[in-house]
Amino acid sequence: MAERKSLIKFKPKKYKNGEIVKVNFMVMHPMETGMRKDKKTGKLVPADYISEVKFFFDDKPFTTMQVWESVSTNPVFTINFKVPGEGTLKVVYKTNTGEVQEKTKKVKPKG
Amino acid sequence: MKTKSILAATLLCGALAMGGEQFAMSDADRALYAELLENNPAEMDVEWGGELVEENCGGDAGLAKFMGVSEAKLPEYISGFPRYIKKFDSVLGIDQVMQALMAQNGHKPFKLSSKEMFAMLAYAKSLANDEPVRIDVNANPQMKAAYKLGEEVFMTKRGGRGLSCNSCHSADIVGSVLRTQPLPDLGEAGAGATWPAYRMTKSQLRTLQRRFQGCMENALLAVLPIGSKEMVGLEVYVTNLAKEKNKTIAIPGLKR
Amino acid sequence: MQRRTFLQRIGLAAAATAVITPRTVLAAEAPKGPNAMSLDAALKAITGGKKVTPSDKVHLKAPEIAENGAVVPVTIEVDSPMTNDDYVKAIHVFATKNSNVRCADIMLTPANGAAMFATRIKLGSSQDVLVVAETSKGEFLSAKQSVKVTIGGCG
Repeated sequence: MAERKSLIKFKPKKYKNGEIVKVNFMVMHPMETGMRKDKKTGKLVPADYISEVKFFFDDKPFTTMQVWESVSTNPVFTINFKVPGEGTLKVVYKTNTGEVQEKTKKVKPKG
Repeated sequence: MKTKSILAATLLCGALAMGGEQFAMSDADRALYAELLENNPAEMDVEWGGELVEENCGGDAGLAKFMGVSEAKLPEYISGFPRYIKKFDSVLGIDQVMQALMAQNGHKPFKLSSKEMFAMLAYAKSLANDEPVRIDVNANPQMKAAYKLGEEVFMTKRGGRGLSCNSCHSADIVGSVLRTQPLPDLGEAGAGATWPAYRMTKSQLRTLQRRFQGCMENALLAVLPIGSKEMVGLEVYVTNLAKEKNKTIAIPGLKR
Repeated sequence: MQRRTFLQRIGLAAAATAVITPRTVLAAEAPKGPNAMSLDAALKAITGGKKVTPSDKVHLKAPEIAENGAVVPVTIEVDSPMTNDDYVKAIHVFATKNSNVRCADIMLTPANGAAMFATRIKLGSSQDVLVVAETSKGEFLSAKQSVKVTIGGCG
């Protein structure tokens, strides 16, 4: 896995202009709290977690999340989004260690 | 004696009563957890597994060809695993078949217990989603033998506490609460149809045989190797329980 | 009694209870973590000292009994027109007994259409989950629910 795995899903899968859809964003990430001991070495595993998630539609931000290490490993985030038309949804997320990744999905309303 | 074996199981898991209280999740709570299936982190493992199958097995087409079926019939064929594969004269899981295919394609096969193989297994089995469990334990003498072996493994008491799988998973004990969790009827729970699954307590995708190993560890039974005749037999037996209850395949599952 | 016998007894008792040691004990011994923050401090940082009012406009869904502490589903919905004049600016989720009580701070806009946030959180012990919704009118509305975390099952 070169790039971190993530998924964007809409519910419902088929939606109209102006409809409010659920946007689910999930990503494979350990969300280490910095309080866990490595079983083999006995040392504390350093904190490594997603600290920010930003949602954009056609490059305009509409939801920003500040995320803490208390969120579960392989986190799933769900918000609402009122479909304004055809365009691109982009999710940019950052970790406390300075990693930055992004994922996009086309928004294609039918009718 | 039933009482004795329940007591043994209880002591085994160190259930010093939590003030005598038995925690049991309400239906509302269970409904909340059922909703989590909609967005299962293991979906990402399945996607990764698909990429690995593409790279190493030639994708769905490569899988179908190797298994000797058309791509259209692949889901139906997958729903019948573990199967007797004539080419290898053994009853095998999909993962073992994929190992052979990887070798044929000149790749070093992933270990059965590796993350890669778990993901590939989840992907391959997900091709049979919405299909009924079709395992046929009477298809041929080899399947009959595997089923018999699996049943024997399930029923044999062994280990420090003299427990068998049946000690906690027999029809009479099912439903009793052990360490806050009701013991499941493996057929009704559709274990054979809903593994590989995301285990919440491990935050990882795990397979059915891997889960068997965890159970064995906890019951103080010697852990059997994944892919061994005994483990495949056990998977045959447990998968057949799901078939008897007409379970539908739904991968990836979501488990505690 | 002899010190050695006493220690042996403690050892046995510890071994006997080790299987189901309450997470709260473990949490107390565990290191605090780099982001440790108390509920009071976290709330003050958000509200600037302004009052937080429990409100039935804030709907929090979480299990009463969580079958494991690693993945606890929480869903928050807030009644709001989500117009430019009247919308939910932020939803804050707190695990009141975690070393860092802050779980997530969600900044919403009218583009969301309806105020909702769902995720899964880690709870180190049985505790209240508290959510605070901040409206564009400057109000802080809250809801809370107690979640019992069980460490059950075999393996």
